[in-house]
Parts: sequence; structure tokens; C-alpha cells
Amino acid sequence: MANPADKPDPNLTSPDEVELREDPEDINGGEEEEEDEYEGEDDDEATASKPQSREDAAASRVNAQNLFRRMGVAPVPVRVHDVIVKGNEKTKDHVIEAEVDGVRHATTLQELLEAANVANSNLRALDIFDSVKITLDAGPPELPDTTNVVVKVVESQSPLAAEIITSTKSQARSSSLEGSLKYKNIFGHGDIWDTSLAYGCDSSGEVGLGLYLPRLRGRPSPFTSRVYLSTQDWIKFSSYRERALGVSLGVLLSKNHELGYTLAWRNLIDPTQMASRAIRRQIGHSLVSDLKYSFKVDERNSALRPTRGYSFVSTSQIGGLAPDSRTLRFLRQEFDVKYAVPLGFYRSALNFGVSGGITFPWGSGYKSRASSVSERFFLGGNISPVCSLEGPSALWGFKTRGLGPNEPRREVEDENQSGGDAYERDFVGGDVAVTAYADLSFDFPLRWFRERGIHGHVFACAGNMAELSGNKYRNFTLNYCHILKKQEHDRAKSGFFLTFSTPSS
Amino acid sequence: MEGDQDTSGFTLVTRKPCFGLPTACPNCLPAYIYLKLAQLPFQLAFNSTFPDSDELPYFETGTYVAYNNEDGGVIEKLKKDGVVNLDSQLHSQPEYLSLKALILSWLEEALAYETWVGTEGVSAWKIYYADLPWVISKVLFYKQTYMAKTRLGITKENAEQREQQIYKRASDAYEALSTRLGEQKFLFEDRPSSLDAFFLSHILFTIQVLPETSVLRCKLLEHGNLVRYADKLKLECLEAPSSSSSPPLHSFPSSFSRKGSKPKSKQKVEKTEEEKKFKKRAKYFLAAQFLAVVIYLSVMGGVSNDELEYEDDD
Repeated sequence: MANPADKPDPNLTSPDEVELREDPEDINGGEEEEEDEYEGEDDDEATASKPQSREDAAASRVNAQNLFRRMGVAPVPVRVHDVIVKGNEKTKDHVIEAEVDGVRHATTLQELLEAANVANSNLRALDIFDSVKITLDAGPPELPDTTNVVVKVVESQSPLAAEIITSTKSQARSSSLEGSLKYKNIFGHGDIWDTSLAYGCDSSGEVGLGLYLPRLRGRPSPFTSRVYLSTQDWIKFSSYRERALGVSLGVLLSKNHELGYTLAWRNLIDPTQMASRAIRRQIGHSLVSDLKYSFKVDERNSALRPTRGYSFVSTSQIGGLAPDSRTLRFLRQEFDVKYAVPLGFYRSALNFGVSGGITFPWGSGYKSRASSVSERFFLGGNISPVCSLEGPSALWGFKTRGLGPNEPRREVEDENQSGGDAYERDFVGGDVAVTAYADLSFDFPLRWFRERGIHGHVFACAGNMAELSGNKYRNFTLNYCHILKKQEHDRAKSGFFLTFSTPSS
Repeated sequence: MEGDQDTSGFTLVTRKPCFGLPTACPNCLPAYIYLKLAQLPFQLAFNSTFPDSDELPYFETGTYVAYNNEDGGVIEKLKKDGVVNLDSQLHSQPEYLSLKALILSWLEEALAYETWVGTEGVSAWKIYYADLPWVISKVLFYKQTYMAKTRLGITKENAEQREQQIYKRASDAYEALSTRLGEQKFLFEDRPSSLDAFFLSHILFTIQVLPETSVLRCKLLEHGNLVRYADKLKLECLEAPSSSSSPPLHSFPSSFSRKGSKPKSKQKVEKTEEEKKFKKRAKYFLAAQFLAVVIYLSVMGGVSNDELEYEDDD
């Protein structure tokens, strides 16, 4: 499900979507007669009132120009008296008012317009309205310099929506094609219920039921919950398949902080019965009850091709939070730092990044117990490390799970291998991993490439894993890799190949 | 997810030990005993998180693995792959196949029935689900019970009839095997075979794991020579005599009609760990009592009679 918590940038919202209508007497104590109105252009069907006569329209235009001139010179003081919500039959008033609340703090007209734009974006981001229009109306005659903010919404006629999208879920850990059916705003709290079916590029699949709430108990913290049944197939790389049935809850505490909890029944099986020893020891059932906290700061100017800024992500996970001591107990910490320096020509930039992670079990016998293979780190794949914010996972030059500790698979005498792609070793992952890269990206001198967003880059990357004990597609990059060093069994690839750059959610 | 101490050599991966047996799983115990009878040195590793797997037990050495759901079972696979074969030259014997059929079909069915249906899975909880959280255990228990009933062909309509048939066959099998065995050490002359492994495993499981109210257990205990056979082989195969953690089988009542009688036998071959522990604790208790009395007397002697008056406690 595309995360509705990603609100559209209010700066991109057209200022025309806010309508300003004032009665003459109320601005500046009624000294000037002003009737300013400029048309709002809604994305969807227009719900604006019918335009007045031609003379009134001309007068309005003149007054609007006057108002703009005044606003350009000095702040125009104004106070919001009331917020009036119209057009909501199902949606609760407090849901809308909570998104528009920012306008109450405006003290000048300029601030008010900006706050109204933000409110408009917030309401659209709820994804439950066909159109949103915010009008600034005159306040009561006895209170000068006040304005009423009128929010007029048109609720979605059909609360049912179907879509097919590509997305990434934390449970699936890969890109996937997903079909979903959404039922919006059943209870009027901006709630969105969805049923989805996802199929991933690595033969993974997921069926799930989700709920999204824009606010939790009045706090501006979007809440998501999901019941899912998923399968991830790692047979080709590590000789196991992972099935999970669980429930996950997530709260976006603020722009930078996110908290999540997962309770899942996980089952690792080896249907081919060809697994290596380390994987054989992992086969079985486990109950995962883990809490995850993420701190994320992304000040880069672009998630796909950053040329300026920095980002920092830290993810901490603790598993085994249950009264039953037999749940899977582990600790996991990841961090990811990226920095982009613009070089000033051909939109080029130098990108640096370091990411690392560590995981180990806790509880009785933790020193001798192997960590769960599902919590380990794997490097390699068709993900660009410049864009990925998922900790140590992406590394140019190596195939999916193509790097790190590995073990020989079971040997059988009969020839029942599938030919070409048959690998003889399992990559079992590492308990500690670190990657680093340096990347110089630049536009090609030809305009044809620039117009199509095709750019070039030269990079160097390194990564390592040790035992103590992928994922989104949008842009297209062609890379040439020359492997400087690899270990005996690492599956590296030199030469030209394609990677897909996509921002992490 | 258990770690092994040794990666080289032979390893048998089974379910966890319980009830005084090196592995309490009735599918895993035969393989263990078979390797012990063959005197093949091996390590034991445990998988306690996959109760519904038919791959266990599996035998591994280097990159060679023999799973239990291939080639008729891990023992058959080990024979076929030439790792260890106790049954060479026995295939020609006419009784081999008939005994094999008795043990591997009738007795195995009876054991499966008794474990999952007859005793309502009382022992199964400890064997299979000790290391799994309750939620998972509950679901898997129902799943395995259902699968056992399906495999045994038990439906609501024929449950009683099928139960009688299973117990009758088990009785007949015990009778035949008891007659065949006599007081021999092994089923076939003086050499161990895979059938001894299966049969010994069956007896040990029935006596030590199934509850005392089990019908199958009572039927087995009627045959004293079978119990003695198992007792003797158990000493050889399972534990070294000095560190045996389970009571000798013959200390169990030999007939279920003597339910209320004392279980202690006058002739103990070895002291059990429980008895040793009990004796140690008794010594500590007596020592503590003695010390308390000494302290009491010394304290009382040092305090004047005018200041303190104590009541004598019993």
C-alpha cells in the first residue's frame, strides 16, 4: 500500500487552490472597500461558486492586485476566528479540523495563506476526498481583522478503490507488484482499509489486510497495521524458503521517528533438501515478537539522484518481547550515513556513504546460539547503494546475496540439478556487515540524455561481512564494474549490467 | 537452531532428549539405537523447532546427508549407501521380512495411535513442543493429531473399531515377538540388526514415555522377556551404566494388575541419580538439624535465665 503518510510537499501545491474572499468592512477597520477574489483551480471537478458578472469580476481583479501589492509591502495582520467545515457527511469534523489546525496560529495574511496551503495538502493526503477547497471568508462584523476559514470537501463518491502498484514492504524485503483493494473512510476517521496481494520479483508473495489511520488518539501520528501471510523464496541463494503469518503495527511518531511492532509465526523450510549444514540447523518454526525503532533524517535534495545534502538512518530492533522465553530473541542495529557534495558542473556530485549493521541473539546460551538467518545481513543485488536507506544490503558488482560467509550444499549422487543456474554453495549471511561507497554522478553533455534523466556515474564500493553469527525499481542505470578483489566463492560479476535506483520509503 | 561442537565426523540430528531417553521422539530413537548397535561413533545434535517435519532424524557427515523421508527411512538409506549395514545376510531369512512387517507396520501404528489418540497426546507435548511457544505448539499439536488420525484411517464412525483392531494387532505382535525372542539377546541369533533397533526403540518408548495408564504399555508389560531384552540392550546402547539417568525397566510393575503395589524392587542393579540426590539431601538435612540443635544449646547456655524465657518448640 502506498504510504499515505508521505504527504505531498505543500510548497508544490498551487496557491490557486486556496480561495480568498473578504467582505469589504473587515480588513483594516473598513477603511478601504476591497473585495478580492481569485479563482482556485481544483484538480478535480470544480465546486467553486458561479462567477459573478463581468464588472464584478473586473473589480475583483483590481482589488486582488491591490491586495497583492499591500502584501508585498508589509505583513497584513489578520486573525482566524473560526474554522468551518462543510461537505463532510461521513468524515468526522475533528479529523478535518486536526489537519487544518495550523491556520489558527497564523497572525498575518501571508502566514494564513501558507498555512491554508499546507492544510489543503494535508487533507488531500488523507486520500478520502475527491476535492478540497479552502476559502478565507470574512469574520463576524463586530470583530475586525478576523477571518473565517471555510473548508469545503467533497468526499469520495465511491469509497472503494482498486490499484496496481509497485512497492516495497519491510516484511517482503524486495520490490513487488501489488494489486490492492481499498475501502476508504468506513468509520469517518480517515481510516483506509485495504486488502492486497503482492508478488515479488524473487518469487516472494504476500497476502494482507491493512488499516491506515492518519491520526492516533488525536496525535498527528499516522498509524498502520497489517495482518499478512507472506512467502519469501531464497532457495536459489540460501536453500530455504521463509513463510510468515503475522501482524505488524507501525506508528510514525514524527517526521523522523518511527516505531513498529511485529508479531509473526515464521517457518523456514527447505523443500529441495539440499541445504548446507548451517541452514539445516535453522529449519523450523519460530515466533517473532519484535519492536523496531527508526530514526531517519534525509536532507538530500533528491532521493534518486542526490547532489546535495546528507542523510542518516538508524534502525534498532529487539526481538523476544514476550512473556514466553521461547520466542526468537535477538538484537539488531543498523545505521546508514550518506553525504552528497555538489561539484558545480554538469550537475555532478560526489556521493559518499557508509552503512553497517550488527545482530546477535540474547538470552540464555546466547553465545553458543546461532543468530536466525532471517535477521542476518546479506550483501549484493540490483539495488543502488546511493538510494537505498535499508542499512548494509546494497553493493554494486555482486549478485543478490552474492557475498560473504557461505557453505557447501548437500551432495547428491543423482543428477537432478536444474543446469545453468545451479550453485553449489549457500550464502548464509553475516552477523556483522559494513559497506562503503564513493560515487561521482554527472550529466552527459548531450541534451538528449539530460532530457530523459539519463546520467552517468563512476563509483567504487567495498563491503564485508562476518559471522559473529534489496529492492525498489524506478530509474534505470547502466554500470560497468571491475571487481578489484573478491573471495573464492563470492558470486561477483564484472562488466556492464543494469541496476535500478529507487528511493526507500 | 542448536550449535554443534564438531563439524567433522558423523552427526545424527534428532529431537531433544526427555523421559530418560537420549531422544524421546519415536521416529528418531531407532536411528540412534541402530548407530549405537553398529558401534559407529557419532555426535548428537538436536532440532527442537520442527515437530511436524518428516525429515528428522537425519544423519550427516561432511556434505553427505541421509534424511528420514528418503529411500524408506534414514536406516534404510544408510544401509543402501553403504554407511552402516547390520542386515547384510539377513534378507535371505524368511522370518526377517515377517518380523519387519510386524514391527514396522503393526507396532508402529499402535505406537502412533497410542501417542496421539490413545493417551490424547499427553507425552507428545514434552517430546515435540518443549521449545516452541505455546501458540505455535497448540496449532501444531492439533495439526499433527489430525494427520496421525488420517494416516491411521480413523474416522468418527470407525474410531472404536479401529482402536480395537490396533490393540489386537499389537497384542498379537507382542506375542509373536516374545515367542520368537525367548531369552535371546537379539532377535536374530547373536547379531544385532535394524529390527532390534526398531523393536528396542518401541519398547523403550512404550515403557518410559507413555503414561502408566496406557493400554499399550500394559499389554507390553505382560511379556517379561521383552522387558528384560530391552533392559539388557538399553544398558549397552543408551547410557554408560554409572551415569544412567533412568530407572531400570524391570523395576516397573510387570503386571498392570499390581497397580497399587510398591514399585521398588529389592534387587537394584544400580543406584539411580534420583536416589543419590535424595540421599545427599537427607544428609544435608540431618547435618542442618544437628547444627541447629548445637547452636540452640550454645545460645541458650550463654544467655542468663532471668532475661529470656523461651517456650520449648517441638
